Amino acid sequence: MALLLLLGGQGLVGCGSWSWGRRSAGPAGLMGQTNREDPAISGNGRVLTSLVERGGGSTVLLQEQPSGRELPLPQLRRLQPHRSPSLSWNGRYLALIVQQGSRHLAVIQDRATGQLHRLPLPGDQELERLSLAPDGRRLALEVVRQGRSRVELLDLAPLLEPDLPATPVSGGGGLP
Amino acid sequence: MRSLHRAAAGWGRSGEAARGDAGLRPRGLLLATTAALTLGGCMGPMPQPLLGLNSRLEAIGSSRAPALAGRWLALIGGRDGREQVQLIDLERQLPVPLPGLNRPDAQPLAVAVDAAGEKLAVVRQLEGRTELVLYRRSLMALEPIAMQPPGVPRRLSLRADGRELAVEVSRGGVWQVDLIAVP
Repeated sequence: MALLLLLGGQGLVGCGSWSWGRRSAGPAGLMGQTNREDPAISGNGRVLTSLVERGGGSTVLLQEQPSGRELPLPQLRRLQPHRSPSLSWNGRYLALIVQQGSRHLAVIQDRATGQLHRLPLPGDQELERLSLAPDGRRLALEVVRQGRSRVELLDLAPLLEPDLPATPVSGGGGLP
Repeated sequence: MRSLHRAAAGWGRSGEAARGDAGLRPRGLLLATTAALTLGGCMGPMPQPLLGLNSRLEAIGSSRAPALAGRWLALIGGRDGREQVQLIDLERQLPVPLPGLNRPDAQPLAVAVDAAGEKLAVVRQLEGRTELVLYRRSLMALEPIAMQPPGVPRRLSLRADGRELAVEVSRGGVWQVDLIAVP
């Protein structure tokens, strides 16, 4: 899929001196006017995911960057609609909310092994959004119960190997 | 600093809530989550709720739009409809101050953080407009990022290395994704 360089490095914005290089992720469909929503980018920027309408339901689209080549996700095909995709550091793990029957559940696709991890939640909670830690060690869930939303954290260490950057980054320990 | 005090006060209440009646419902919810995840044990190893952190998150009031990176959790939370961006250090289990980011007249819609906890990208509504801003914590500086071509931003994702943003933008009734290099 062609990537369009729109305003590479030219845009000086507001009163600041930082410049913002921009490009569009390109249309998600051949017709060009397809909605493309809820993006998530891997920690190293090599994989981009977003939601597109396919087969009558919101479907996660996974693409290499910057080539735009689509990466297959056959195990997620019958679990639409998809929501709230999130990627780990190198894009090994894709976490998202899927629908199975009448239930929403969080799943994590391990692209290295092909394994699909299903994470069931109690039936009285509605899952709204999620965020996977780039290293794959934690998952944050936004759940709604009795009309109130709250964020909960899960420890994924028993489930996933870490997906770490090639060069370790500072944890920001120098800041308060 | 008012936002810091409010956030810190919320976390401080968690101990009291856990001892009093107000703590019973969250604790029940946590147990329910634990039970559900434990029942899945027959399917292999299952993730476990981080009970201590979850109890502290409960003290914020309502919370939504989580974003994890490194030791950081960014979210939108608050009480009585007064929502603000919060950044929580998961190792210290404490919120950190974000001076100059939150405003009482702004409604945050989405937030993302990098793994160093240095950059936060926020979509917020202010004076009837929806804007994308980048906050650098070490500088306590807020920089607007204009949509070009013009459009209305909504959800976003920040690369964990902090170098690029993926932003959902509405233009002419179509949702698109912009990739913006962060200097």
